[in-house]
Amino acid sequence: MSGTLLAQGLVLGILTGGLYALLASGLTLYFGVMKVVMVAHPAFLFLAAYATYALHTATGIDPLLTTVVTVPTFFALGVAVQRLLVARLAPESLATMSVLLTFALALLIEGGLGVVATGSYRSVTVDYASQALRLGSVALPADRLIAFGVAAVTLGGLFVVLRLTRFGRALRATISHATAARLVGIDTDRVTAIGFGIGLATAALGGAVLSLISPFFPAAHWAWIGRLMAVIVVGGLGSVQGAAVAALLLGVLEALLQVTWGATPAALLFYAFLFATLLVRPQGLFGGRLAQRF
Amino acid sequence: MAVSPSASSGTAAPGRLAGRAAFVAGGLLLAAYPWAAPNAYLRYAGVLVVLYAALSTAWNLVGGFTGYISLGHAAFFGLGAYATGILVVRTGLPHALALVLAVAGVTAFAAAVGVAAVRVRGSSFVIVSIALVSMTNLVAQNARWLTGGSSGLRVPPLVEGLSRTANHVVFFYLFLALLGLVLATWWAVDRSRFGAGLKAIREDEDKAESLGVPTTAYKVVAYAASAAFVAAAGGLYGIWFGSLDPIFVFSIVIGANMVLMALLGGMRFLLGPLLGAFLVAPASEYFLLAYGESQLHIVLSGALLAVVVLFLPDGIIPALRATWRRRGPRAASIQERSAAELAAAREEVPA
Repeated sequence: MSGTLLAQGLVLGILTGGLYALLASGLTLYFGVMKVVMVAHPAFLFLAAYATYALHTATGIDPLLTTVVTVPTFFALGVAVQRLLVARLAPESLATMSVLLTFALALLIEGGLGVVATGSYRSVTVDYASQALRLGSVALPADRLIAFGVAAVTLGGLFVVLRLTRFGRALRATISHATAARLVGIDTDRVTAIGFGIGLATAALGGAVLSLISPFFPAAHWAWIGRLMAVIVVGGLGSVQGAAVAALLLGVLEALLQVTWGATPAALLFYAFLFATLLVRPQGLFGGRLAQRF
Repeated sequence: MAVSPSASSGTAAPGRLAGRAAFVAGGLLLAAYPWAAPNAYLRYAGVLVVLYAALSTAWNLVGGFTGYISLGHAAFFGLGAYATGILVVRTGLPHALALVLAVAGVTAFAAAVGVAAVRVRGSSFVIVSIALVSMTNLVAQNARWLTGGSSGLRVPPLVEGLSRTANHVVFFYLFLALLGLVLATWWAVDRSRFGAGLKAIREDEDKAESLGVPTTAYKVVAYAASAAFVAAAGGLYGIWFGSLDPIFVFSIVIGANMVLMALLGGMRFLLGPLLGAFLVAPASEYFLLAYGESQLHIVLSGALLAVVVLFLPDGIIPALRATWRRRGPRAASIQERSAAELAAAREEVPA
């Protein structure tokens, strides 16, 4: 009985952890290219979920297909946020001012969604997402499988772009040493803007998936800030692999706590890990020299 | 009158005197406000403005001196409010004693949190502060046996049977006294060795440490002192308002407003947060009146914060000072002679 429950929790945790990893990858990108902690990432995630909901109810197209529209839009939005807002901040106070600026964006999005879409719950339901695959006595809900699949494909795609393409090399060069990258002729401003665009594009994908797996309301992004910040701090700010490992670890622990103790301890887990990591190992599990001073 | 080196301090004195006179006059005007306010609503709004001024100035004890930006001071506000309320309701302690105990408890808690929080700088510290308010909100909502959860906690009034208006007047002066206390603390810290250490941390923490400033201890003390004043404001708020709901007191928007006000007025100035509060709090109250309890006030806070961060990161006070200087007489250069005089003088001396 409890063995099944634990197995179920483990499976759900891994599937949710995939989504956390996808969302954390966006945060890692922003931090990598500009040392900016983008507090508004979860707010954009919910903006995307609402966009998916609106497109789905207005036109009836499949929520996952709406990403054809939302992903390019969010990419452009990301480039605009970097070019028009973040790049304007004075470099000496960028670390704190960028958090305040993106925090202001989060408030704007939350308030705007509240005004336009009211504060009540929304959700997208499609037939295929409410089914479940059975593996012995463990159920694999289709919506979570889709979420994990989208996350895995996106992360795989990101990995390929970062490792194998010319742009990926330019991006990694910008992350590891922007001045040196400029010296060898990389247009770091352009690369940074595109990095922001890709980051927000992952939020668009995440939002489409999120609209399938859970009901959402404008103020819900605060809970996600805690989760995602815990993921990237535990993993080590700026480390993609670290964030992925931490996402799976925290996803599994959350699901296990949820089936054994309930929702509140599961939610508190993230904060406990966040504080414990900062106390014991501020650079995180896999953080290197980059994470030291942020 | 002969020009002597002391002339410069002689000319500064009348300015300082005028400043002090303006300060006293401003204080007297503020104290007269509840009697000048034409209706109960404006008295209520006045209490709110002074409360926010006290909160933002208290926040500035950390933010202004050390440059550590905390978006989570609403956690201490909520803890102060709930600790005071619960002590009054459960143990029947007199309000004043409950408030003192609550402030002591929250200060100890803040010192403990501070030890962990100030280990990280810049953006990580901001994240930790956001996590703190989300976490305390979550706990307060779920510890129903203690806080009543979302059904709220009723706090008995300070004086039974006091009219609403009289209650507003009493708390206006209580919050004003708190504001005076916080301002005096900031002023005293500003010209102390401790304050110099905190400012050194703001400018360059590593250098400050290498010069022997006990950075961690200083940061924790500033953090705890700031939390103590915020908790006191929270406790007073609970007694004044009479009912508490976790969502409204452990509110990230309250924390954001403290930062916004301090930033708008000018974090490096004694009266910066107060000025910011006097501008932002009435504006958001007006917004609530004009547009009702909608989400628009969140949009307003967000938009103002973005504008301040982008265009006025040093605040209004330095911006005003710069304008004043441009309008006033030009600052004298080393030689008080015009270019024409110089040219004439040069012509007199044959080359």
